Amino acid sequence: MKNNKFNKIRLIFTLILLISATVSNAQISKIELRATGLTCSMCSNAIFKQLESISEVDSVETDLNTNTFIVFLKKGNTINPKTFKEKVEKAGFFIGVFIVTALPEILDQSIYILIDGKPKKQAEIKFQVLDKGYVTEKEFKKLAKTYKDIATYSTNNENDFHIKILN
Amino acid sequence: MRWIIIIIVLLGFQKTHGQELFVVTDPASNVPANSLAVNIMQSSFKEKFEKGYNYHLMPEVTYGLSKNLMFRGSAFISNRNNQLYAEGGSLMAKYRFYSMDDLNSHFRLAAYGRYSFNRADIHQEQVEILGHNTGFETGIIATKLVKKLAISTTVSYEKAFDNRPQYDFPSNFGDNATNYTLSFGRLMYPKKYTSFKQTNINIMVEFVGQTINENGKTFFDIVPAIQFIFNSQVRIDLAYRKELYSSMLRTAPNGVYFNLYYTFFNLKKRNDNGK
Repeated sequence: MKNNKFNKIRLIFTLILLISATVSNAQISKIELRATGLTCSMCSNAIFKQLESISEVDSVETDLNTNTFIVFLKKGNTINPKTFKEKVEKAGFFIGVFIVTALPEILDQSIYILIDGKPKKQAEIKFQVLDKGYVTEKEFKKLAKTYKDIATYSTNNENDFHIKILN
Repeated sequence: MRWIIIIIVLLGFQKTHGQELFVVTDPASNVPANSLAVNIMQSSFKEKFEKGYNYHLMPEVTYGLSKNLMFRGSAFISNRNNQLYAEGGSLMAKYRFYSMDDLNSHFRLAAYGRYSFNRADIHQEQVEILGHNTGFETGIIATKLVKKLAISTTVSYEKAFDNRPQYDFPSNFGDNATNYTLSFGRLMYPKKYTSFKQTNINIMVEFVGQTINENGKTFFDIVPAIQFIFNSQVRIDLAYRKELYSSMLRTAPNGVYFNLYYTFFNLKKRNDNGK
């Protein structure tokens, strides 16, 4: 009898989890970004505080030696890379590497333009944003040559993101 | 002169991260947008022609309006008349107009302007709108991080007016000058970061010079400093300023600085239900 009740509760929990998973469709779960041009932990702290102030952010982990920030996002967020770029630049710095971990459905959104790699069937995909402001300036100069035939890449529209699949 | 060269050489060969939070000069970088930095700057300089020390207290508030623009307000308090006296104040704006950042380096340029007023007596040829003269200063700053060493240089034009209401600028002094600075900074500790709580220790050396445009009178100072940063938020500077060369009248060229800095990040709190 007791066991039966427990099973019911478990079933309800599983259902809730399943429902919330389908609702939080196409969301980003994690961002890994490397900031450029900084020299001190006080500067990293400025970026850390900016990232922490984003309401969709759950927690931020930092590697001060490489100025890498791993940002975990809340479920059901609708955030896109632009928010992070603005926050890092507000702290006075720039993004050198920007890697997104998200559900594969994210690629259905027209703001993401796949220009390198093919997504495989898996639970989560990982991709790097290659636009100006998400790579170092040197890197961007190289990429601009590589992708000179992709019209949207060279227009530098702030609201679309050209991506390379990493996994 | 030899120990100056030794310091520079030592700075150049340390394999740690560079620093640019200088004591007597500003880097081309600004305080973060929407952040407020409060600085209590104190200095005590030995009087050359009389007994005692000239003490200055300079509280300073810096606000980052955007990623490129910051403002600073300062007040000047001194004991020149044997008791603490509010002599004047200053307003400054700095605009970063160029940034070239890479993973472990950056090159930045900024322009700044400052206006100060002061009602103290004018007692030296050195033009100094930070705590002595009424006047303005405008200049360009270039800051470069090369292989983890921060180097910054400033060139500025400074002009003094009368210290109203009582003291006119002496007509036999040159009232405008060219300033030039060169600063080096290094992080000495920690060798490897583990957390924001770690205390950082920086050493820096700055060279500060001025030439009065009318008559070519010049001074040149060196300012070695040690800096502690606690909790990535509180900064303490201890510096010594020494005159290396001077052909102008200065009443108290040598002395020490003691600065206490605190940064309030993200003044406007998040406006939603975040944690």
